[in-house]
Amino acid sequence: MTWMAIGLFLALAFFGMPLAFALGFGSLAGLWMLDFELVVMPQRMMHAVNSFPLMAIPLFMLAGELMVRAGIMDRLIAFANSLVGRMHGGLAHVTITSGTIFASVSGAAVASASAMGSTLVPSLRKYYPDAYSGAVIASAANLGPVIPPSNAMIVYALMAGSSVSVGGLFIAGILPGILLAVGFMAIASWISWQRGYPLTGERFNLANVLHQGRRAMVIIMMPVIVVGGIVGGIFTATEGAAIAVVYSALIGFVVTRRLKISDLPGCLYRAAVTSAMVGALIAFASVLTFIFTIEMVPMMLSDFIQELTSDPMTFILLTMALLVLVGMLIESNAAYIMLVPLFAPVALTYGIDPLYFGFLFMYNLVVGMMTPPVGVLYFVMSGITKVPMMQLVKESLPFVAFQFAVLALCIFVPQLVTALPRALGY
Amino acid sequence: MTPTSTSSQVDTKRGPAPPHFSTAFQRAKWVVERLDAVTYWGIVVVMGLMVTIVALQVFWRYVLGSSIDAADELSRLCFVWAIFLAIPHGVKHGVHVGIDLFVMMVPAWLKEVLFRLMAGVSTLLMLMVMLGAWVATVDRWPELMPTLPMTSAIYYIAVLICGAHAFLHLALLAWGGSRTWEELS
Repeated sequence: MTWMAIGLFLALAFFGMPLAFALGFGSLAGLWMLDFELVVMPQRMMHAVNSFPLMAIPLFMLAGELMVRAGIMDRLIAFANSLVGRMHGGLAHVTITSGTIFASVSGAAVASASAMGSTLVPSLRKYYPDAYSGAVIASAANLGPVIPPSNAMIVYALMAGSSVSVGGLFIAGILPGILLAVGFMAIASWISWQRGYPLTGERFNLANVLHQGRRAMVIIMMPVIVVGGIVGGIFTATEGAAIAVVYSALIGFVVTRRLKISDLPGCLYRAAVTSAMVGALIAFASVLTFIFTIEMVPMMLSDFIQELTSDPMTFILLTMALLVLVGMLIESNAAYIMLVPLFAPVALTYGIDPLYFGFLFMYNLVVGMMTPPVGVLYFVMSGITKVPMMQLVKESLPFVAFQFAVLALCIFVPQLVTALPRALGY
Repeated sequence: MTPTSTSSQVDTKRGPAPPHFSTAFQRAKWVVERLDAVTYWGIVVVMGLMVTIVALQVFWRYVLGSSIDAADELSRLCFVWAIFLAIPHGVKHGVHVGIDLFVMMVPAWLKEVLFRLMAGVSTLLMLMVMLGAWVATVDRWPELMPTLPMTSAIYYIAVLICGAHAFLHLALLAWGGSRTWEELS
């Protein structure tokens, strides 16, 4: 029955049905074949969404919406420009630096891409080809789920049960996130030098850096308070997200004074509708995972994989290869929801550190947001820059290759992922 | 009315125009738009409540050293309502992601046929969700929530509304095609 439900899901998804509904229809067929009553479906859907940790997702999205409405992007860009604007590929560096800071506010790649795309594309296209500009923004936006807070990590931790904490995953993302940002900047410098792009920003001036840094301090303080509070065990991810919302609203109303009461309904609505995409996937996928449990699929999968190999590293490499393929075809949230309940318990049976496995799993699917044909970030950037997707893919190749290189480094040097969380007691 | 060559070329690429001239289609669209307007404010209210409750709970717990008993349950209720009310709006705005690898390769007419077919199949799914949610609502009606004097069926009412509202949206898309809401963009 499980295979028929999965087959129906894949067939419908192949013909263009939204993944959430294809999952729902496949699950509905599975329930029907297993003689379950129809009432099981809404019960599973409601219980899947009725979760306090999951509430952090719309709250972080709302915080990002409020921050953008408050006009923080201007301050972030000015600060990044004062720091790195004069280097080769200065505007690309500004984009990557802004992406790194905005990642610690929004927690989502698509939100970062939308925010940076609408504010940075007009400046970038004055000096760089549109395809390259789109590729840089997409790569910088992909830091969103790696640098804490991260909605992807929240979904992973929820799906993995009690084996891994959100705070631990947040901390695990810091070193690889910094490595990615520095690597992206090196690639941008090299490309700009090779192609002879002009120098863009003003000369480095410490007084200007301090001035812009002071203006941007209110934004930089937000992740310090929110992420610091979450990883310090002072409050939960959801409470931290609520604090982020209040903080963002205060910045908009009091500091920048660009946020108006009349903006609030739109911000609340957009945060809810964007979260509903994840919510629908979680709701419908929970019915499929219910069928998996009834049919004992996790146990069968565990037995099957353990017959294939008893070596934990081989298991990790096999899982990573599978996830690269999955990342090319399936939207990352759908993949977490369907695959984490299957693979996380198997990883535990191999004695693999759940934090290490969780980060690798999450990060692999994050890179999948930039691998065609289902590269969500390309869709967003293609919409903003009006550049065909394949041109964006071509220009992104060095950045995507570097993301895979960091994945390989994290696989073979686990300390890169685990050292910081362990040092902080996770 | 004979379309010009330019408009017919556009139609070939983008699929046929929705039956805007049909009174029945216009009425159906009007009904869905009214529902959208009502649920828009529903989403805004429950999202606003959710943020307020969680923020107040944080203030109560960390500043005043106590907690609001019903905060956890009430905020989760608001979250459930926000998500299920927003799912049909996601259908309208096309936020529910899918795989378009195959669909992008087929001719426009087949693409449109597939779009309507998938919308039709999704309509059937939502009909089933609605029926299931109705049964769940009736079953749970006598039960009260642990910390609030309110029926626990209230969670399933959100799923019921989601099923009914998404059913209407998807049926409209199956009827009007991919350009049903084109004036939105």
